[in-house]
Amino acid sequence: MAPRIPLLIAAAVLVVGGLLGAMLPEYYLRLLNVSAISAVAVIGLNFAFGYAGLISLGHAAFVGMGAYGLAILTTTIGWSPWLAAPTAIVATAVLAALVGYPLLRLRGHYLALATLGLNVSLYIVTSNWIALTGGTNGIARIHELAIGPLAFSGEHQFLWLALVVLALVAAMAAIMHASRHGREMMAVRDDEIASEMIGIDTTRVKIMAFVLSAVCAAIAGCLFALHVRFVAPEDFTYAHSITYLAMLIVGGEGTIVGAILGAALLTFLPEWLRFLGPAYLLFFGLLMLCILVFLPTGLVGLGKRLRRGSRKPVSSISARAPEATP
Amino acid sequence: MADFVQLLVNGLAIGSVYALAAIGFVIVYSATGVVNFAAGQFVMYGTFAGVATLINLQLPWPLAYGTALIIMAMFGVLFFVSVYLPMRRGSIVTIIIGTVAISITIQNAALLSFGSWPFRLPSPVEDSSIALGGTIISTHALGVVGVTAIMVGGLWLLFNRTSVGVGMRAVAQDLQAAKLMGLKVNRLLALSWVLAAVLAGVAGLMLGPMWFADVNMGDPIALKAFAATIIGGFGSLPGAIVGGLFVGLSEVLGASYVSSAYKDLISFGIMIAFLLVRPQGVFGEKIQDRG
Repeated sequence: MAPRIPLLIAAAVLVVGGLLGAMLPEYYLRLLNVSAISAVAVIGLNFAFGYAGLISLGHAAFVGMGAYGLAILTTTIGWSPWLAAPTAIVATAVLAALVGYPLLRLRGHYLALATLGLNVSLYIVTSNWIALTGGTNGIARIHELAIGPLAFSGEHQFLWLALVVLALVAAMAAIMHASRHGREMMAVRDDEIASEMIGIDTTRVKIMAFVLSAVCAAIAGCLFALHVRFVAPEDFTYAHSITYLAMLIVGGEGTIVGAILGAALLTFLPEWLRFLGPAYLLFFGLLMLCILVFLPTGLVGLGKRLRRGSRKPVSSISARAPEATP
Repeated sequence: MADFVQLLVNGLAIGSVYALAAIGFVIVYSATGVVNFAAGQFVMYGTFAGVATLINLQLPWPLAYGTALIIMAMFGVLFFVSVYLPMRRGSIVTIIIGTVAISITIQNAALLSFGSWPFRLPSPVEDSSIALGGTIISTHALGVVGVTAIMVGGLWLLFNRTSVGVGMRAVAQDLQAAKLMGLKVNRLLALSWVLAAVLAGVAGLMLGPMWFADVNMGDPIALKAFAATIIGGFGSLPGAIVGGLFVGLSEVLGASYVSSAYKDLISFGIMIAFLLVRPQGVFGEKIQDRG
């Protein structure tokens, strides 16, 4: 992969996001911010699931740890968000490493159920440890992020913060993807035994992928806390973990562009379906099912299929090995 | 002591419901390899099938229960045709997301047809209880344990004494070989979904009078059923029973002796501990090739 691709992705995020931000009305700006925050989390999930093949149903727990870390540090100790955010992110990374070391020996649906249990446990703790987390009432009045007199308070100002962070995370992910470490992750995903044979320390690679995914999740969590300025246990349930996974699959697993597209589509889709009234979630579920059945390689895969369709049919191998595109 | 016996019976009753949900989950998993994240919604539909026949149609209870279970059997067939058949070649994640998607659909279909207000499903042994020494035990709870025992016995007979049951086990063991032996594989796979739906229906009908019938009840039940299957052993029927009873008991005893806020943490904590130390559970499958 050419080294300019990370730059291209970052530039595309800023240009497309900026243009959309200038054109869309205030209400959609909020959704755009939510999409950007989700995209950061989904890029993280892409490390664990897309590259290393670890099925995590607990991604929202790491988003929650980042968000709660920032919320607690800023409100109860009174730290500046500039100091609280890195602390929360590092703390989440350490926790992910500690949890990952024993858990990542599991595979497939065992890992899925273990991470699901982890996510549910976090929900129980955050909603009952009232002294620290405020219980189900959550933590309100989180300090806003500011550079000197300029505060990221309105949706417009916040969009720039979110876009810059998303562009940085996407560029880092693209660099990582092209590096030896990224290749190692994909090798472990495709054949664990063969990777061990050629001298890859699979445990180290899996933990690295898991920690990277948790770091991105924590960054998304910090953004979330700074955007909504209120955190509650309901924002980080396992249903959210499933949504992140669905975003990645709908966009196209193993690709950064797919992660961003999926996050945006699944954030806007429920709003577009609002006209259905109370039935919209029903159609949302059915639509996801249809995408899974008819579009197994996601939006990115569809784009690739359309481009190649006239020349040659997509083989099953290229559909299963998405590493050709970042 | 009297309190303890009462808690024990209540724990076994709720555990029986979890066990039935877990058995349905395990039957489907062994036969089709599908990790069914909609398992909790199956139980919710069972309860609401009861709401439809007992409350809305005002049928006498034997007829109402029968009709509700027939509805559940048809639901199982529908699920087989519209969800399993299109998705069966998908990866594990596709199936997880797919069954979650269908779970969202099912839950909201129930919300649209029944509304968000909880119902109280009556029990055939309405509010009666038995005094044993100083203990007052609800007849319904005892009945739930009894019905579960009968269902488990029936399943044992089905899987060990009938050709259909033996065929289902053959399909679960090796689908290709079963096909080569001339078994009607698709029919047996469909039957496993029907069986799961009917078991969930029985669980739902028994759960209704203990909890309120609420369209959001599916997720907590599914989580308990997952914990039960892991603790007992993924893919094992005796494991599902032991795991279900264990989760029910730990929930009820934990709530009164440890902390009612953290009662669910006990079962999930034990589930995670099992995954780390003994992922095959109490009676589990060998896991090196799965997943």
